[in-house]
This record gives sequence, C-alpha cells and structure tokens, in this order.
Amino acid sequence: MKIVIAGAGEVGTHLARMLSRENHDIVLLDDSPEKLSNISSDVDLLTIAGSAHSFEDLKRTGLVKADLFIAVTPFEERNVLACSMASYLGVGRTIARINNSEYLQERYKAKLKNLGIHELIYPESLAAKEVVASVKQTGTRQLIEFSGGKLLLLGVKVRENAPVLNKTFKELSLENEHILVVAINRNNVTIIPKGTDFIQNGDIVFFVTTRLEQQHVFELTGKKIFEVKNIMFLGGSRVAQKAIEKLGDQYRIKIIENDLERCKKMADKFGNALVINGDGRNLSLLKEEGIEKMDAFVATTGNSETNILSCHLAKTFGVRRTIAEVENLAYMNLAEQMDIGTIINKKLNAASYIYRFTLNAEISKVKCLTASDAEVFEFTAKTNAKITKKTIKDLGFPQEAIIGGTIRRGIGYIAHGDTKIEVGDKVVVFTLPSGIKKLEKFFK
Amino acid sequence: MNFKIIIRVLGFLLIIEGIAILLALLVSAIYNEHDLNAFIISAGINLSIGGLIVLTTKNTNKNIGKREGFIIVTLVWVVFSFFGCLPFILSGSIPNFTNAFFETMSGFTTTGSSILSDIEALPHGILFWRSIIQWLGGMGIIVLSLAILPVFGIGGMQLFVAEVPGPTPDKISPRISQTAKTLWVIYLGFTITETILLWIGGMTVFDAICHSFTTMATGGFSTKQASIAYWSSPFIQYVIIVFMFFAGTNFTLSYLALKGRFKSVFKDEEFKYYGLFIIGFTLIIFIGLLVSTQLNAEPAFRDAFFQVVSIITTTGYATADYLKWSPILTILLFSLFFFGGSAGSTGGGIKIMRIVLLLKNSYYEMRRMLHPNAVIPVKFNKHSVDSKIITNVLAFFMLYITIFGLSTIIFTIIEPDVESAMGAVATSLGNIGPGLGNVGPAENFLHIRPFGKWFLSFLMLLGRLELFTVLILFSPAFWKR
Repeated sequence: MKIVIAGAGEVGTHLARMLSRENHDIVLLDDSPEKLSNISSDVDLLTIAGSAHSFEDLKRTGLVKADLFIAVTPFEERNVLACSMASYLGVGRTIARINNSEYLQERYKAKLKNLGIHELIYPESLAAKEVVASVKQTGTRQLIEFSGGKLLLLGVKVRENAPVLNKTFKELSLENEHILVVAINRNNVTIIPKGTDFIQNGDIVFFVTTRLEQQHVFELTGKKIFEVKNIMFLGGSRVAQKAIEKLGDQYRIKIIENDLERCKKMADKFGNALVINGDGRNLSLLKEEGIEKMDAFVATTGNSETNILSCHLAKTFGVRRTIAEVENLAYMNLAEQMDIGTIINKKLNAASYIYRFTLNAEISKVKCLTASDAEVFEFTAKTNAKITKKTIKDLGFPQEAIIGGTIRRGIGYIAHGDTKIEVGDKVVVFTLPSGIKKLEKFFK
Repeated sequence: MNFKIIIRVLGFLLIIEGIAILLALLVSAIYNEHDLNAFIISAGINLSIGGLIVLTTKNTNKNIGKREGFIIVTLVWVVFSFFGCLPFILSGSIPNFTNAFFETMSGFTTTGSSILSDIEALPHGILFWRSIIQWLGGMGIIVLSLAILPVFGIGGMQLFVAEVPGPTPDKISPRISQTAKTLWVIYLGFTITETILLWIGGMTVFDAICHSFTTMATGGFSTKQASIAYWSSPFIQYVIIVFMFFAGTNFTLSYLALKGRFKSVFKDEEFKYYGLFIIGFTLIIFIGLLVSTQLNAEPAFRDAFFQVVSIITTTGYATADYLKWSPILTILLFSLFFFGGSAGSTGGGIKIMRIVLLLKNSYYEMRRMLHPNAVIPVKFNKHSVDSKIITNVLAFFMLYITIFGLSTIIFTIIEPDVESAMGAVATSLGNIGPGLGNVGPAENFLHIRPFGKWFLSFLMLLGRLELFTVLILFSPAFWKR
C-alpha cells in the first residue's frame, strides 16, 4: 500500500517507521529538511520537503496513486485543509489529526466527508480515554473492551500473592472455561503462551474474558478492587484536561500546574477541580496537598522524565494507582520496571488507531498493548474467509498469534481449540508484530 | 561491529558474481574456446564459497549500521576484484596475478585502463567477462543486490548512499529496493537499445553487446586493441557518443524523461551545465583541430565531440590519440579529467554538480565579502543548498586534489616521467582509462611496475566510491567505540 504522511513530528515519524517496516511504501512530507534527513537515514522511505497545504508539493508526493493520506502536522486547520486537498487530488482515503473534539460529533461527519476528510484522529482524546479507563478499572494495567464490553482484555501484573502462580496454562484452561490467557509479558519480552508454560511472579498477564467472569480474574491474580475517589493530576496538559472532562463530577480532583495562565484557564473550565499553581517536583507542595491521601496520581506533563519520577514518588507515598504519560519510547521499558502502574503513550495510541486502515481486512478495533510491542485486533469474519472453514485447532494459525474469543450475535465466547468461527463473527486476535501480515489472509 | 552480517552479505554477493561468471561461461560455450574450463572452475569457486557462507551465517542479526555499511561497500569491491580475476588467471589470458587484479579492478570501477597489448587474441568468453564486469560495476554491485536480494534490512539506505555517486543521492520511489530496480531497468533498457543500434551500424552481435555494456557503464573496455577507432563508421561513433552522454547523465533524469517529464529534465541545472561544458569544449577543440590539422570539418568535429564526451563521462574510449594534438588541445582535454559525469550517473570523477557548486560558492564568497552581513546561500535548481552539503563538497574537492597531488608525487618514484605519472593518477582516480605520456590512449599499463599497479588499483577504488567511503575506514574515529 502506498501511504503519504504529512508532518514528520512524533506521531508522523513513528507511523512512518512502523508502516515502512510492514513493507508499505511511505512518502513523508514536511517543511523542515532537517527533520526529514534525520529519519531518511535510518528508515526506508521517500522524503519530500514541502508544505502539507500546497497543491504543488502534495502532487510531488505522488498522491494520485496513493491509497492513504495521513495529515499529522501539529496544526489542526492545516491537517484538515491538507486532507481536503489530498482528496481533491485523488487519494483513496484521508486521515486528519485534530485537536478539537467538536469535529468528532456524529452530525458533522457527513460534512467533513464532503470536504474529503474520511477519518479523524485525536491523539489527546485517545490518551485521555486510557487515563479514564485506568482510573475506573483499578487492579489492571490495561483494559480493552470489545463490542461494547461483550469481551474484555485485561492486562494484570501478577505478584507473589496470586493463586494463579506456577500453574500451567493447560491446568488453568481446564479449571476456568471462561478465561483464556492470550499473552504474557515477561522481562519486556512478549510471549504467546503454550500449554506447558506457566505464570511467574512479575509477569504481566493478558486475559480474555467476559464481563461476568471478570471478577474471577481478579481472584485468580490476587487483586483487590478499590474505589478511586481522590485523584491528583500533575500538569494541566491537553490530555489531562480531556481526561478531567471525561471523568465528570464524581471524583475529587486536584491539578498541579506550573503555568499561572493555564491554571486560571483550568480553574475557569473545571469548577469542581482544585487547581494549584506550583511545581509538581516540589515535595513539600505535594505533601501539603496531601499526596498520601490520593487514590490515583496522573502525571501528564510534557516531560516524560518528570512523569516517571513523580509517579515513582507517588508510589512511595502509598498512592495505589499511578498513571504516567511517557512519550519517549526508550523509557517505556524503564518505566515498566520501576513499577509505574499504567503507561500512556500518545504516539503508540495514535499509531494503532491508524494502523487498521492499512490492513486488507475488516477490522473494528486495533490496540497496542502497553509495555509490549504486541497488538490486539478485532476482525470481522467475512463470507468465504479462510478463518470460517475449519475449527481453530485445524486452521494452522500462525504461532505468533492467538485467537482470544469471538462475539456471535452480541454474546462473547472464549475461544477453544474446537470452536468454529462463523461468518459475521467478530474475532479478537492477539498477535506479535511479525504475525500481522499472516493474519490478513485468514480474514480476507 | 556486526561482522557476521558483513560476511553474510559478501556471501550473497559472491553468488551474484558466480551467476555473472555463468553468463560468460555461456558465451565461452557458444564459441567453444579453450577458456571454458577456467569459467567452470571460477563459477564453481564463487558459487560454492558464497553458498557456504550464506548457509553458515543463517540467523544473523540483519541490522546494518553506518559502520557496517561502509565496510561492506568497500570490501565488496575488493572481494569482487579478487574473485573476478580468476577467469583471467585460470584461462592463461593474464597469467600474472598483479596484472589480472589490476585489469579486474579497472573493470569493476569502470576505469578501463588495460594491461593487455593484444586484445584481439583473447577468447570471446574472456572478452565478454571483461565487458560484463564493467557493466556490473557501472550501476553498482550494491545497487544491483539491493534490487534483487532481500537480504538487507533497514541498512539498505546506508549502502545505497555509500555506493551511489554524488553529494546527495536521490530516491525515485519510497522503497530503496524499488529505486534500485528502476535504475537497473533503465540501465538495461539503454544497454539493449544501444546494442541494437550498434548491430544495425555494422558491428557483430558480440561486439555490439560488449560495447554497449562498457558504454553504459562509462567503462571503456573494448574488444579491439584500437578501441572504437577500429570502426571507421561515423554512425557507430555517433551512437556511442549519444549513449556515453546518457550514461553520464543522472539516471533520475532519464527516468523523468522516460515518464515524459522533459520539462523537469531541461530545467535541471546540473544537466544544463553538463550540456554546456560538452558543447563548449567540443567547439574549442573542434576549432583547434581545424586550425592545427588537415582534417575535414566533419571528422574533426566527430573526433573532438567523441573525445570530449568520452573523457567528461569518464568512459575512456578513443577514436583519436589526443596526445598527438597540439599541446593546448591536449591540456584542455586533460582538464576534463577532473570534471566527471553527473551525480547519480555511472560516470566517475568529481562530478558536474560538485564543480558547479564549488564555482558558485567561490563566486558568492566575493559578494559575501562585499556585504558582510548579507545572507547569500548557494542556490542550485532554484533551491538554496544546505551549508552542510557545501562543506561536504569543499572537503571532497580538497581531498580529491590532495590525493591527486600526493599520489602523483608517490607515483613519480615508480614512473620517473612526471607527465605520465600525472596522467596515470588522474585517470585512475577519475575512473577514466587512458592517461598521458606513456599511458596515453595508444599505450597500455603493462609496463608499470607491480607496486604501481596496486597503487593505481587502490586509486580506482577510491575514485569509484568517491573517497569518503574508503577513506573513512582509515580514520581512527571509525574504529573507536
């Protein structure tokens, strides 16, 4: 597939790198030649220096023959305009990055489509969603819902008090019919489990289960669920603002922000939150504001180091739930080892979101698992797709991938070896990056 | 340093060389001459060593970094020359190892300097092998392997940049392998067209193929001792002039032209200067020849045109002995030794683009002195050129001239004649072929002492890989972690 990406910022370069590795033809457009020369030396792509909203420059990218145009410059209006122009020039599909949730409303969708903007991506909103999910769902590292919660994927860190320790997966699946382990992340390596493997202390285990059996997972892993009431936000970034907006009124929220102007704006916007002007790295300030009484601590300043360290600090004060925004990919494993609960990365979120448009199968959801490079997909089994021909154990499914479950007529089922997938089922598949290409042919 | 991947890539490339030898073997089989065994053994050696390496280095980390890239590219050319001289030695055509290596390196680097004094006596297989090594070296061994082998992971671009001439290699399409494929297809297309035209012009099929190979590579090996002068047909000479011109043009432009975008071709600044230099030098030498010799207008024009294009594109074919011209014309032609083809062509030398950038920069420098606070960037193709590139070009030029000077001094120890020494060094460094004095177009390099031949071989490699790729291996910083 030929893909043109406008904007060589963090999201753009990450996407380019990832998609180029998947053998897509990437053309990257940016107005800064320095940024382009940095990436072109180690990624196999074509770079073009030029403006995203110039017809001439867009034409030079060979847009006419491209299948997908992704505008991810930092400027919303530029992205929207660029997508519109790209559509006019004849690109198959366009995706614009926006900073304004207004565009996401259903009633404007047709208008935007008329302008030639097919999909919208709002990375801050996606990140905020993760923050909210992780505040609401204590006990897990990650929670992904499929088809409105018919199936759940829970990522749980297993500690020494967990009853599930040292049991082989074979035993586990015999004892618990409605729970399936799809992957474990051990020492930063993601493993697709086989029957004889067992769970060790310190693993992050990804379970697929239904809503009813969810509690059982927590019992197995020895997690106690607690109610979050007090939340402290460090940094009033757009992610934080979005998250506070989504959280609503039932929480007691404190925001610590360095910039006075921003504080004023936040105080104006969120009447129910207490906005404190001060440096979040100031220990006495944190103590004064009662950090030890907090149930959750969310660090989303623009600085990954500050976020990691302050979450670490919050942990030592006994905050049970900490969430850090880590934009520096190299720090993600480090943060994981430092036991910072949930790690949020805008880039990865955005990239997974866009990723689905590059695959040749019908996909309703793609998510990247935190602290691992694996992805989980929700495919729809089409008529005559290879996946519907045989039972799972006879399919010859790639080793790097595993089927977690299916949703048939609104009811979620956990997959077993003799499950047969029917046309129209939604199938939750978990895969390592090397397996993605192989999956495509099963669902075509 | 990931030595394993270096070895593995070399293994793959040896297989490619083995396959190329099989082509020569085919020719030898057709003519059924005594060199058949030599090719069978050489192909066997290449294929088995290459195959063995590839099989034993499976599961290697595919990551090729900058350092590995430079080592691979340099080593490939050396290793190729070592294995490529096997047919010459085994067939007894060039029994001496030093001579055979010199001939092969001269071939791969598309220099075209030869130690052979009786080319016509060689069997067809060997002549074909001489031509095909130039053809492979012309577009580049690495570029070929990028086009057909999927062995390179992310490191492909490193290798591409290290091998393709010019200060800023362009990609035609997003994928490096696709770019390499396109380049080779154009290259192949030109070669086939030229073969047909030469055949129509009266060459035998064999000669037509061999000469097309060496023209498009801007190599200059001929199947005749007298080079192109053997054919007195003006048609053949003009055809060769045209294709030498194409070979010395940036292949990206040929690609654009084939897509019908002639406007962007003629707008290209390097192409304009390339054309201007050729026209200018041709006219001056043409007039010079008219005045100083008894030649008629057409032959004088043809001789001037042919020699100018042959030297500026660094091909090195000869239809006239420029050493017999009046000294002013000879020195004019010698100055062309330092021009070279366009960036991204198969030609060697300094390259037109660098020359133009240097001249422009020097001219702007004067304006900068008049207006100390003015911002005056060097413009090329209507865009200002990054000062990093200017620095790089200046460093390249400095190195080129220094190496030329130093090498000439060293070479005069071996070859006491200054003129010959200058000619030999300049022609090797510029990958041209003939030099001055006793290595002129009518002479050959056989009489040079072994040390001199090794030294010139090294210079050819330096020139083909544009200095930095090779020299960087000799810098202490390269080996420090």
